[in-house]
Amino acid sequence: MTTTQVPAPTPVPSPAATGRTRRSWLRSPLGRLVLRRLRDAVIVQFLVVAVIFVIGYYVGDPVSAFASPEATEEQLAQLRRSLGLDQPFWVQFGRYLEDLARLDVGTSVWQQRPAMEAVWEVIGNTVLLAILGAVAATVFGVVGGVLAGTRPGSAVDKVINLISVLSLSVASFWIGLLLIIVFAVRLNMVPTSGWYEWRGLILPVATLGFIHGGRICQVTRSVVLDEMSKAYVLVARSRGLPYRRLVAGHVLRNVAATVLTTAGWEFARMFGGSIYPIEVVFAWPGLGPLMTTAAHRHDFPIVEAAVLITGALVILVNLAVDVASHLLDRRLRPE
Amino acid sequence: MDMDHRPRTRLLSLVTIGTLFLGTSACGGGGGSGSAGRQSGDLVVAVATEPSTLDPQLVNDRSSRIVTDNLFETLLVRDETSQIQPKLADKYERVDDTTWRFTLHPGVTFHDGSPFDADAVVFSIERIIDPDFDTQRTSYTEGIEGARKVDPRTVDILTDGKNPVLPAEMTSIPMVSPASAGQQSFGHEVIVGTGPYKFGTWQRGREISLVRNDAYWGEKASIAAFTVRVVPDAQTALSALQAGEVDLVFDLFPEQAKLAPQVKEIRASDFSYVAFNTHRKELSDPRVRQAMNLAVDKESLAETIYQGHATPNQAQHLAKGMLGFNASLSPFPYDPEQAKRLLAEAGYPNGFDIELHVPIGRYSKGEETADFVAAALGAVGVRAKVVKHDWNDYRELGRVKGTESGAFDLKYGWNSNEWFDAARIKSHITCKGASSKFCDPKVDELVKAGADTLDQAERQRDYADMWARLHENPYSIYLLQQNYIFGASQRLEWNPRPDDSYFVSTMRLTS
Repeated sequence: MTTTQVPAPTPVPSPAATGRTRRSWLRSPLGRLVLRRLRDAVIVQFLVVAVIFVIGYYVGDPVSAFASPEATEEQLAQLRRSLGLDQPFWVQFGRYLEDLARLDVGTSVWQQRPAMEAVWEVIGNTVLLAILGAVAATVFGVVGGVLAGTRPGSAVDKVINLISVLSLSVASFWIGLLLIIVFAVRLNMVPTSGWYEWRGLILPVATLGFIHGGRICQVTRSVVLDEMSKAYVLVARSRGLPYRRLVAGHVLRNVAATVLTTAGWEFARMFGGSIYPIEVVFAWPGLGPLMTTAAHRHDFPIVEAAVLITGALVILVNLAVDVASHLLDRRLRPE
Repeated sequence: MDMDHRPRTRLLSLVTIGTLFLGTSACGGGGGSGSAGRQSGDLVVAVATEPSTLDPQLVNDRSSRIVTDNLFETLLVRDETSQIQPKLADKYERVDDTTWRFTLHPGVTFHDGSPFDADAVVFSIERIIDPDFDTQRTSYTEGIEGARKVDPRTVDILTDGKNPVLPAEMTSIPMVSPASAGQQSFGHEVIVGTGPYKFGTWQRGREISLVRNDAYWGEKASIAAFTVRVVPDAQTALSALQAGEVDLVFDLFPEQAKLAPQVKEIRASDFSYVAFNTHRKELSDPRVRQAMNLAVDKESLAETIYQGHATPNQAQHLAKGMLGFNASLSPFPYDPEQAKRLLAEAGYPNGFDIELHVPIGRYSKGEETADFVAAALGAVGVRAKVVKHDWNDYRELGRVKGTESGAFDLKYGWNSNEWFDAARIKSHITCKGASSKFCDPKVDELVKAGADTLDQAERQRDYADMWARLHENPYSIYLLQQNYIFGASQRLEWNPRPDDSYFVSTMRLTS
């Protein structure tokens, strides 16, 4: 980031000018980017699937867990044959992919119904919480980061810095429990847990926003600080451009791609693991409690379905972030 | 709701962020009256895990019992003092050594409208004892061979050999409707019993709701409806109780008890112990095992780690009122000097090294207790190293026979006596018992004598003698009788029961 010229407003090529068809859109830089990312996504998802299969293949013997302890060797072999477990690795893997194509990961031992169905039922709650949490984190991060970045060294900067360090260092469930004790038990303003009314969203969203906002805040502060030292800012200010318009109209636009990438990464990180303990603390009916209970009950199909779906979610979020960054910052556009 | 609340909320948030760290030191348990405590006339119970199914014949964990105990009923039931009383059966008698005859209460119907009769009893018994059915209630189906209809109101239950605990078993075999229990969705969408409550809805991951059965054959319940909420985190559950969102929380930690608006407590039929592998050389000498019993200060274990929510047991896995209880025994006194003398007498003046095995997160304060016991043993020279296992490893390794390598030399555990009868301990103390690492022919003899008669007075004498023998020749370090600790809202009136049953029809809500 060493460019010194004042960037001209970026002209967006109008659809009419290029006279695009669907085919040519795919050839456009954005189209090519999406295609390439989709290809990567498929590869990554395939790797996720393969890793899950390999773990399932090598860890534990389903037959010995399945059969009664008195079963003879012949009975075990018979069971193995009937389950197709005597087939070579690649045959089993192929069959596994075949089932997966039908979104079939098996029946949950715990809930006695297709595992995918159990995961599908709660995934919406997790996604909703994550989206709101990401919005809260971004608002906290951007507001804090801009306030701090435009006033380096001030008291405001120091306080915000302290809060963002706290956000990165304290345990998320502890913050959650603290918020419950203060706002639900002592002040009685919101429910402690569960999702029985809209106010049940407040504490989990606040907790997510707090623990994920810190990094966004720090990144925003640093890029804003960087941007503020550039020549165009000095020029614009010397020409009398109102400060607010400068920050909102130019500085923010130029840092948007970086901030968005960070926010997107935090969003993906929620599905990667951070949202689940918070769901457990707040008794939120999402993937967290489902996966925890499934793991306790050794219900592999549900854990597997959840891992597959969260893997897909992380990939999708990354894809969306790439596209959005591209739209926001033409420097990221592939040549 | 609470439109007038929002501006205040925003202002208060700003104020309270500043006082966040002061907030936690103020006094607790003030909840219940504020507007966010949404209590209605209905009872709300928090459970830590969602039941896997509500088929009562299949599962037996506490979070499903709070639901199924109220939907389903049994032929017999224990009263508050744990004595066996009639329920769906008006009376029962023994016809011969292997046949018990039950006369059913007339005019009882299932929630699906079908009659509760001899056919339903036969169906229910045959269903639960089927090995393919794979019930978790195996301790209640032991020794039952089948059931036979005599007439619509009379059923014979058949046992393989003499089964003195059959009446105890009948307090925990729920009766299900043949018309409904055959369906695939039974236990999930179709849940049909004869109880004082009917199934309402089950929102997966959130709550299960039940409503009063107004056509109930017995005395109707006072609480019109209740819901069971899933709250996985123990601290959150306590907070929900303090905030007045729930009325009953199971299994509080001892240190949480003082924060609950109301504590309900009962001495459970759970007895903690450290079992010996008497096949190990040092532990084969009864003097060493007596010494180890003398080395542990049970009183202070109960007072410190359990904060008074447990009591030293009378050197047996039974309490007063249970069959086979030996009232003349008392806990081993805390006497480290005598322990050292006994160890020296047995040839171990300098003690020995040993491992003490404990599961992680299974028993309330289990790991802390193991550390406590290890320190106490260390003080008399028995250097015990605490080894922690996850529950599945612990269970698997715990089954290794005492004579084989890798067997646990010292094993911490709880013995739950759901029969309220000394016969329950058999597998832990007989030479061939599945979990036993102890062998004493005299004990085996007394166990056999107690199992071989249907004369309860005779059984009481045999088992009391057995405990006396197990006092001279201890199979374990006898630790505590554990309490169940419940957190309750101020408005809940209820007395918990030692048999771990949860009858909402015996609960009342004031105000």
